[in-house]
Amino acid sequence: MDELTREFLIESQEGLDRMERCLTELEERPQDAGLIGEIFRSVHTIKGTTGFLGFKRLEKLAHAGENLLGLLRENKLTADRPIITGLLHLLDGLRAILKTIEAEDAEGEGGDSELIGQLEELQMPAQAQAKQPVHAKAGARSAAAPPVPAAINAPAAPSTAPEPAHPAEPQPAALPPSKSPAEAEAEVTRARVQGSAAESSLRVDVTLLNKMMNLVGELVLTRNQVLQATSSDPNMTLLSRRLDMVTADLRENVMKARMQPVSNIFSKMPRIVRDLSQALGRRVRLQVEGQETELDKSLLEAIKDPLTHAVRNSLDHGIEPPEVREAAGKDPEGTLKLKAVQEGSHVLIEVSDDGAGINVDKVRQKAIERGLITVERAAHMVERELLQLIFLPGFSTAAEVTNVSGRGVGMDVVRTNVEKIGGKVEIDSRAGKGTTLRLRIPLTLAIIHALIVRSVNQSFALPQGALSELVHIPPEQAATAIEWIENAPLYRLRGKLLPLVFLDRLLRPGVEQANVNERDNFIAVLDADGRRFGLVVDGLADPEEIVVKPLSAVLKNIGLFSGATVLGNADLALILDPGSIAQKAGVTMSSEEEAALSAGDESGVEAGKSLEYLLVEAAGRQAAVPLADVLRIEQLPLSRIEYIGYRPVLNFEGQLLPIEDSGGVLAAVEGNPKAQIIVVVCREGSRHVGIAVSHVLDVAGGGDLFEAGTNQRTGGVTLLKNRVTGVVDLGGVAPLPAGEVAQGEWSQTTETVA
Amino acid sequence: MSTATIAAAALHRKEKTAVTLMETCTVRLGGSTFGVPITHILEIVGAARPQPVPLAPVFVGGLVHYRGDVLTTVSLRQLLGLPAKEGRQDLLVLESAGGIFGLLVDSVGEVLTVSSADYEPNPSILDERRRALFAGAYKLKDSLLVMLDPEQLDPMRLSAAQAA
Repeated sequence: MDELTREFLIESQEGLDRMERCLTELEERPQDAGLIGEIFRSVHTIKGTTGFLGFKRLEKLAHAGENLLGLLRENKLTADRPIITGLLHLLDGLRAILKTIEAEDAEGEGGDSELIGQLEELQMPAQAQAKQPVHAKAGARSAAAPPVPAAINAPAAPSTAPEPAHPAEPQPAALPPSKSPAEAEAEVTRARVQGSAAESSLRVDVTLLNKMMNLVGELVLTRNQVLQATSSDPNMTLLSRRLDMVTADLRENVMKARMQPVSNIFSKMPRIVRDLSQALGRRVRLQVEGQETELDKSLLEAIKDPLTHAVRNSLDHGIEPPEVREAAGKDPEGTLKLKAVQEGSHVLIEVSDDGAGINVDKVRQKAIERGLITVERAAHMVERELLQLIFLPGFSTAAEVTNVSGRGVGMDVVRTNVEKIGGKVEIDSRAGKGTTLRLRIPLTLAIIHALIVRSVNQSFALPQGALSELVHIPPEQAATAIEWIENAPLYRLRGKLLPLVFLDRLLRPGVEQANVNERDNFIAVLDADGRRFGLVVDGLADPEEIVVKPLSAVLKNIGLFSGATVLGNADLALILDPGSIAQKAGVTMSSEEEAALSAGDESGVEAGKSLEYLLVEAAGRQAAVPLADVLRIEQLPLSRIEYIGYRPVLNFEGQLLPIEDSGGVLAAVEGNPKAQIIVVVCREGSRHVGIAVSHVLDVAGGGDLFEAGTNQRTGGVTLLKNRVTGVVDLGGVAPLPAGEVAQGEWSQTTETVA
Repeated sequence: MSTATIAAAALHRKEKTAVTLMETCTVRLGGSTFGVPITHILEIVGAARPQPVPLAPVFVGGLVHYRGDVLTTVSLRQLLGLPAKEGRQDLLVLESAGGIFGLLVDSVGEVLTVSSADYEPNPSILDERRRALFAGAYKLKDSLLVMLDPEQLDPMRLSAAQAA
């Protein structure tokens, strides 16, 4: 394919994307001349260029569309629903031909006569009124719509009439007289602005950007080494500091070059929503928020399908038909909300609807029917666990298979695709109120958080995503803590047996390894696709943000490593793949257990009614934090705590974290600059909060307490180790002022810290 | 022999098989010298410290960091079944049809210009394994320069050969 055609394809795709956006908007504002002008321009550009490149089929179709659009532009027709549908068909037709050109470098065979006929038919009602001579048009235009920017920007324009095209009609010549000098000036300015926009940006091949990213990574490492080597030389300090800064800037900007706004995929949704709601007989209003949020290009591509799935699901299973909604006392028009927001190193994408929500009983029944869980197991599962079942392969609650959804490939595909790029999916649903699906996507694909572990005298990187906790077993305890069934090592983790995999034995089979009783053992509790096991390593180093480098096929075939990375000290480390380790070590589970575990992991709720709590001490008092909400425990110097007014806050990984200090921990150590405090970072609804504590004591299961004689469960307290302990109410932590924290639906709670 | 006859003889030979010159980088391994066509070499890195990869095929010498990428290296010693060498090794970054990879050798020597007139194909008595890796030899004044075929040294191909 020659350069010209390629250029044409890219340009046309962009034009059609723009057209699609405008069309869906046009439906709401059929009189908007600017939108019509924009659409006209897109089609017109395609027509013009195709004639030049010799794509006759494309030209004919574009021409038919242009005729219809011309009438719209001159206000001879109004953009009603059939016309917009027709134009959408035109869009699909044009896209299909472009696709063929891209694949085969030729337009391919195919009849567009039906579509062209349809487009011509749509012009009919206007034809009667358009009987006036075509020549009156110029006048009509200036009279009807003088400020139409379309007319200004497309001077080569309209071969609009129902008659065949007038080649080289003296339109450009006819135009100037119809314009006032002021208008002409406006045109010039506009042209200049557009020109400079086109000049100030250029297309860059993604592979080139990838290469640049690689080289920048290399530069960062070289810089680290230079900094280390020159740290003792005072003459070099200034230079190396400068190098440091420039490198950091460069890296940031190259990363930025790969970022694209999520509007690139959000803009596809109005059309999908429109088509589907018509096909399904729903009335849906689409709300989009945070379109400008940016994400790495490759990630954007990767979440396109999951997001489309989620939107389809919401329309098919979520939002009810208008009459059902009305009967339930809801607005007959449902709302589908797409929201993107950046949270530290992640982008959160929410798809929420105000539909029927997920019927948990139906989920339970379906899961049993499909043999995904047993009846006994189902009876014990709580709502949150049951909701997780919809992510299992082969699950669908749709009563019948439609072409929209219901083939049971929906949600598990969403989850797999999102997890593949290091993201997470959460679902929240309330019967009758609606469903919210949250996709948590890392900002860039190339960089992941990992814990560096040591084994066989080498460093390995363990992705944090799979890591749920770490257990240290000192040599003197190893003999009792690690139990064996024949030759299978096990560890009792809070009363449950956890299969163990020794990394050194796995990596060096047949070689005698150091006795576990003579060295420190660290168990990394991993969760790989629902298979839970403990990976035993000999040492832990720091967590690091690592840049993932691909491995050659020869080493990928080993099956234990998903890539390699260069550590801060310039050493190479292999990235362990928890899933394959589990497989290689033979850690497998029945699908039933798998379901239970993946559900249990998501919610952190054990099968019974008791919750797990983190027992903390704050200034002499004990309190409990629900373990499921705890994200991290950070020890940091007091100086890291800053204040907004009287509110203590923490800049945590680029996010502002409100610190709850009802225990008075901060006050107790105030004035001591060397003091270390511990902050428990918790998830609360859609935000994170930190709780300042003096010690973290233990993890324990808590039981409900019943008020004597009433049989009513008490809120805010739990029974931990047979002591009544207050539960920290995370919802009670007041939000930060000035919209620093995404305002959600959470601030309603009235409970206080018990 | 006069210069004229030498020239005539050379011309005569050229007519039969066009004499071409090739630049070859010599590498040393134990007591032997091998040649690698310079056209396949991207870079020579001295004193590389490859990171071992557990469970990797025998011929893999480990991973090295090269210009932002992680390269798989082939250890010529391990490939030829020689005992491993302690201490510094040199690394050739090679390009083959399948991509780039590293070749670990004891040390890199000078660049020689060899003539196709001195070329001999692999002798038939060479064992099969080596016959696949070597691409003939050049007769130097006092020794033989055994040529390595970079395409055959590509780790992907080696692992395929090993599996077969």
